[in-house]
Amino acid sequence: MSFNPIYHHTEAQLEEELRWIEAAKLNPEAFRPLYEKYYKAIFSYLYQRMSSKDTAFDTTSQVFLKALTNLKTYEFRGVPFSSWLYRIAHNEMVQVFRKQKEQRVVNADINDLKFICEENKEVFFEEYIPYLKKIIGKLKEKELQLVEMRYFEKRPFKEIAEILNISEINAKVRMYRIIEKLKVSIRKINV
Amino acid sequence: MSLQFNLNRPPIGDDEINKRKDFDQLVKSFKEQSLKKAQGDESWWKNKKIRYTAVIAGVTVVCTITYLSLFQNNNTKTQNKSHETVITPQKQSNKTSGFVSSPSPKLSTGYSKYTVNAAQGGKINHPSSTKISIPKNALVNKVGKQLVGEVTIEYKEMHDLGDVILNGIPMQYDSAGKAYCLETAGMFDIRAYQNGEQVFIKPGEEIKVELASIKTQDKFNQYFLDTVKRNWVYLKRDDLAKVYPAQQADPKTSSAKSESLKREIDIIIPGKIDSVQKNYARTIAFLPKPSEPLKPEKSTGKRPEFVIDADTKDFPELAAYENTVFEVGTENNNYSKELHEITWSDVQLLPGPNKGKNYILQLSYRGQTQKLVVYPVLKGADYKKAEAIYDTKFQTYLSLLETRQAKEKQLMKELQLKQQQYLSDQKRKQEELDKEQLRLKIELQQNQSRQMLAGFNGTAEQNKVNRIFSIAQFGIYNSDCPHPVPSSNSIRPVFIVQGKGNLIIPERVYLIDYVSQTVMNYNGFTNPLSIPMDDDKNYAFCVFRSGKVFFCDQTQVKTSRLANSREFKVKALPDNLEHPADFKKFLQL
Repeated sequence: MSFNPIYHHTEAQLEEELRWIEAAKLNPEAFRPLYEKYYKAIFSYLYQRMSSKDTAFDTTSQVFLKALTNLKTYEFRGVPFSSWLYRIAHNEMVQVFRKQKEQRVVNADINDLKFICEENKEVFFEEYIPYLKKIIGKLKEKELQLVEMRYFEKRPFKEIAEILNISEINAKVRMYRIIEKLKVSIRKINV
Repeated sequence: MSLQFNLNRPPIGDDEINKRKDFDQLVKSFKEQSLKKAQGDESWWKNKKIRYTAVIAGVTVVCTITYLSLFQNNNTKTQNKSHETVITPQKQSNKTSGFVSSPSPKLSTGYSKYTVNAAQGGKINHPSSTKISIPKNALVNKVGKQLVGEVTIEYKEMHDLGDVILNGIPMQYDSAGKAYCLETAGMFDIRAYQNGEQVFIKPGEEIKVELASIKTQDKFNQYFLDTVKRNWVYLKRDDLAKVYPAQQADPKTSSAKSESLKREIDIIIPGKIDSVQKNYARTIAFLPKPSEPLKPEKSTGKRPEFVIDADTKDFPELAAYENTVFEVGTENNNYSKELHEITWSDVQLLPGPNKGKNYILQLSYRGQTQKLVVYPVLKGADYKKAEAIYDTKFQTYLSLLETRQAKEKQLMKELQLKQQQYLSDQKRKQEELDKEQLRLKIELQQNQSRQMLAGFNGTAEQNKVNRIFSIAQFGIYNSDCPHPVPSSNSIRPVFIVQGKGNLIIPERVYLIDYVSQTVMNYNGFTNPLSIPMDDDKNYAFCVFRSGKVFFCDQTQVKTSRLANSREFKVKALPDNLEHPADFKKFLQL
């Protein structure tokens, strides 16, 4: 899995980030470094899951506005600030889907699908693509989130766990169950 | 919600993303939203009922105040005639303000309260052996009027670094622009109230405080804490007197019984639970595990086949039945009849995507390789023979499986029973420990209170002195020796919780210097937080965050400094600290 420099922090970086947060709690102008640091990551997260580029940009603005509004309630829990932003982003996205009847989108690369088959120790044939789309489409939202983060966004388990506010072990167990489920479905393609 | 699947959608470029960033707009929206919210909060004023009620209440209050002030003025005039001792108001304040605030109110030393008749004056003997003498007619109210009747004197003392930290006393001292840190030989905070109103010392009068102190050196000065100017004010050289007797106390924090119970609860019983679980897991794992026989598949007769002499060492499952042939699966889009006509130089059978059910047949000739997914099947009589073998094997498998499951169930039941026994034993021991700890806690509190009240019990008689203060206003007084603050080496500390690795941004940081016996306090939110430190001193950090206390002892500080690191590992102090003595013990004070 890839290493995300925006997400992974040294203790000193975490400290610096916390100082920005404490300063931003007193003065909204001091929020700028956090905005600059995370804008792209939050937009990419939303655009990965939305069909319209403009809606993704609008939702990104909403996420940061909400973060700034609720910054006083933010408490440091040993994880990067981005985890908190991702959770706001997810909630905002769900609201957009509900209000605007926007379509939930899954964006994947053909190599990602190949990777799923390989992880499940199955041979990948291009003819499988429609079936794989169907299998992924049948996953529950929570399962889909995990698959997207793990396979399509290549996030490590630690990061996934922090974004979903669960333990790393829990994330691995959930992923394992999804893999088992996928295995069964993929084998059915073969038969 | 329907789902749309996009494959290889082109990503949005960084330029476009950066173009859409607009921080100023974000701040503008935030401000507008805050303004709207504030206006929303005021909307209650639009309610007619509330508005009229508020206006009526306002008018009533104004009338009452006017009436009372007129009445009081008349009264004052009458009283002025009868007493000639009316004086001008004093400009002193005995409010300590936010400048002095305890980082942990539950641990801060409480005030002792004494009642004195203002007209007659009085002498207070504090349990620490401190004596307070209040002359008669020395107390006035906020308008300078001499007080009669009873006045409550609130008094507390601080003698060591622990007291200084817990009471939030700032020890930095600025003398003509030069920064010092004060080493205390004893400090007190004195204030007075009558009917909830602040009381002041009459100009020209002085209250004598003979402060008991365990430091006998003659290097200290007297200071008063000016909470308005936020600095200590030098008063005079210290005035020493008299020695005090010592008393004994023997506080205990744990007993052999509590230690043994703790060991049982935390180590022995969990160890037993863990061990029994491992033993049973091992026994279950070693139970004979029957393997399910492979069901023979009948040839469809419609799909092309390959006859291969497969190595049963690699695929033992193929040894179960004789004359197995390999049928080409329907998923092989690359299959053509010509593949049967080529004399392949190498044929390999590899595990298939669906293990035990299908295989990959790899055919090679002059660099050309074809892969086919094939299925092992049987024909006619061979199939019937295989079916009969399978039925027998399957029956045996089922009965073995049943035996194993029954044994497994029985072992699990035994395990649960044993674990329950251990858990109930642990619960019983916990109850016993709670009782013992409560008994110890009561004993400890009694001892600590006795110790605090007796005043400096561990110190020998000849090591106790009196430091005499003559105070003209209430507030915080200190017998101090200033030490210069290092001006060169400053570090920006980062605090990390030992073991957990969590970083904490403290609300307050205290730097304890064990050599000069001083403590400097810093606002943890200062950015950047820069703390001057000397190389040759033994320091420790005490850090407060959200009601929790963290401590980085001298060894840890030394280790970090030797490694040229600004990361300091702190240990959380137990949440149940209730007494200042517990806190001081942890801080090695």
